[in-house]
Amino acid sequence: MLDYIRLEVRRTLRDRGFVIFGIGMPVLMYLLMTNIGAGPGGAGMEWKTASMVGMAAYGALGAAIGTGTGVAEDKQLGWLRQLRITPLGPVQVVVGRGLTAAVTVVPALASVLLVGGLVNGVRMPAWQWAALAGLLWIGTAPFTLLGLGNGYRLSAQSTGVVNTGCLLLLSIVGGLWFPAELFPGWLRSLSSWTPGNRFAELGQSVTQGGAPGLATVAVLAAWLALFGGYAVYAYRRAARTV
Amino acid sequence: MTQTKRPDSAAHTAGGAPAVAFSGVTRSYGAVRAVDGLDLEIAAGETVALLGRNGAGKSTTLSMLLGLLPPGTGSVRLFGGTPQAAVRAGRVGAMLQDGKPVPRVTVRELITFVAGTYPRPMDVTETLELAGLGEFGGRRVDRLSGGQAQRVRFAVALAGNPELLVLDEPTAALDVEARRVFWRSMRAYARRGNTVVFSTHYLEEADEHADRIVVMDAGRVVADGTGAAIKRRAGGSLVSFDLAGASTGPLSGLPGVSAVEVRGDRALLRTADSDATVVALAGLGLVRGLQVAPAGLEDAFLALTSGNAPHTPAPDAATRSAKELA
Repeated sequence: MLDYIRLEVRRTLRDRGFVIFGIGMPVLMYLLMTNIGAGPGGAGMEWKTASMVGMAAYGALGAAIGTGTGVAEDKQLGWLRQLRITPLGPVQVVVGRGLTAAVTVVPALASVLLVGGLVNGVRMPAWQWAALAGLLWIGTAPFTLLGLGNGYRLSAQSTGVVNTGCLLLLSIVGGLWFPAELFPGWLRSLSSWTPGNRFAELGQSVTQGGAPGLATVAVLAAWLALFGGYAVYAYRRAARTV
Repeated sequence: MTQTKRPDSAAHTAGGAPAVAFSGVTRSYGAVRAVDGLDLEIAAGETVALLGRNGAGKSTTLSMLLGLLPPGTGSVRLFGGTPQAAVRAGRVGAMLQDGKPVPRVTVRELITFVAGTYPRPMDVTETLELAGLGEFGGRRVDRLSGGQAQRVRFAVALAGNPELLVLDEPTAALDVEARRVFWRSMRAYARRGNTVVFSTHYLEEADEHADRIVVMDAGRVVADGTGAAIKRRAGGSLVSFDLAGASTGPLSGLPGVSAVEVRGDRALLRTADSDATVVALAGLGLVRGLQVAPAGLEDAFLALTSGNAPHTPAPDAATRSAKELA
């Protein structure tokens, strides 16, 4: 299974679309949002930090969901079918794909954090950096499952569109682009129930020197269970035809 | 290239279980019966061609053989166990018909990965050589020509050094030269003691490269044997002559004649008894440009699959082919 993960990671990182949109976009947006229109003194450190978490979360979310788009492509190419006639078991293939996402979210996540620290001068103790990166990394799990569910359930074309839609919706409503504090009241309360918002909250709590609240963990766990169930259902359906 | 038999094949076949066994297998898509009561046994070490037209049920049969599709009724066994068990044990390698190249990997990366999933893989360099990809190892799979991509799919099937190699229309995208190279490799692999099952609608391929031909039509086996046996079974000879304006009416009633076809001004009679047919034609004065030739495999195939052969009394098929011939 390690070989399978290695192969799929390699394929993802060679995908120019992934490198440009998955890694380049969040970095670019982070730099734009913290350096343009911020006035002569530039943006405050608080916003530079908050936006760094938001954009790192956005990048990681995109990479995680994007794994599902890859699955849909593989399904269309007949690659999943070919894998089914190797000794590799179906569970190994699905789990391997999920773990591939755990690897490919790293560059998306790390590049925004690096730019935050090196370019925007965000300063935190080492344990906070480590905790921030670690929590954002683990927190991608529900989104990987959502992407995989879409990938198994839908055709390659629709998966691309649906996954991009999910990414934008979850990111914007979740307050990853603009802080949820700027939203009207009703949207703010809706936002706090979404996985994107709680995902970023994992990171924001660390940068504020605390630990994620119970509510945040509970909401994320609920989404993890929901998306996990969806992924299993989608895979079972697809297994009949793949 | 080694010519030795598989060291492991003796142990695997010790139980005497055939490499492939279909018994009473049926598979439908909606109202269409793609495979209709298939009984087929393939012994370890055999090279078998599954011959039939498009839609004869070949691909469905191979999908069930590989465990990709469960049979509607009946059972499919590989080496005495389920297809899934044989696949998981690394005893099966397959080249699927609809596979497209996997993007963003090199040929060598792909073959190395596939080989790594098998317990006793073939050396990667040897696989590439055998598949005619020696110089393409470093190339991206999605940047190869159609024929080269086809060879990659062959290499994927070979990579695990499987005892049972399944090839679904393996030469569909290949030119004449590439085909020759492909069959040479396939036979070299079969000679190592492996079982090979391939589907084709090219009769020459089946005749030249398989020990045994299984002819399928409408989801059933209509003939099963060596190329020579199938030619014999289809019955005899083709008698042809110039009609020169004569009526074709009485021809189908002549002794031995099983089918009549008119091409331009020339009549072609398929006959089980060419002597009797020729004597009768002489009696009618129809001997201009007369030729008697043994029926080719092509004719045998048509006879078998259109229901004209004596052992397949399918009335609807017979009527249909009679109309086609008329």
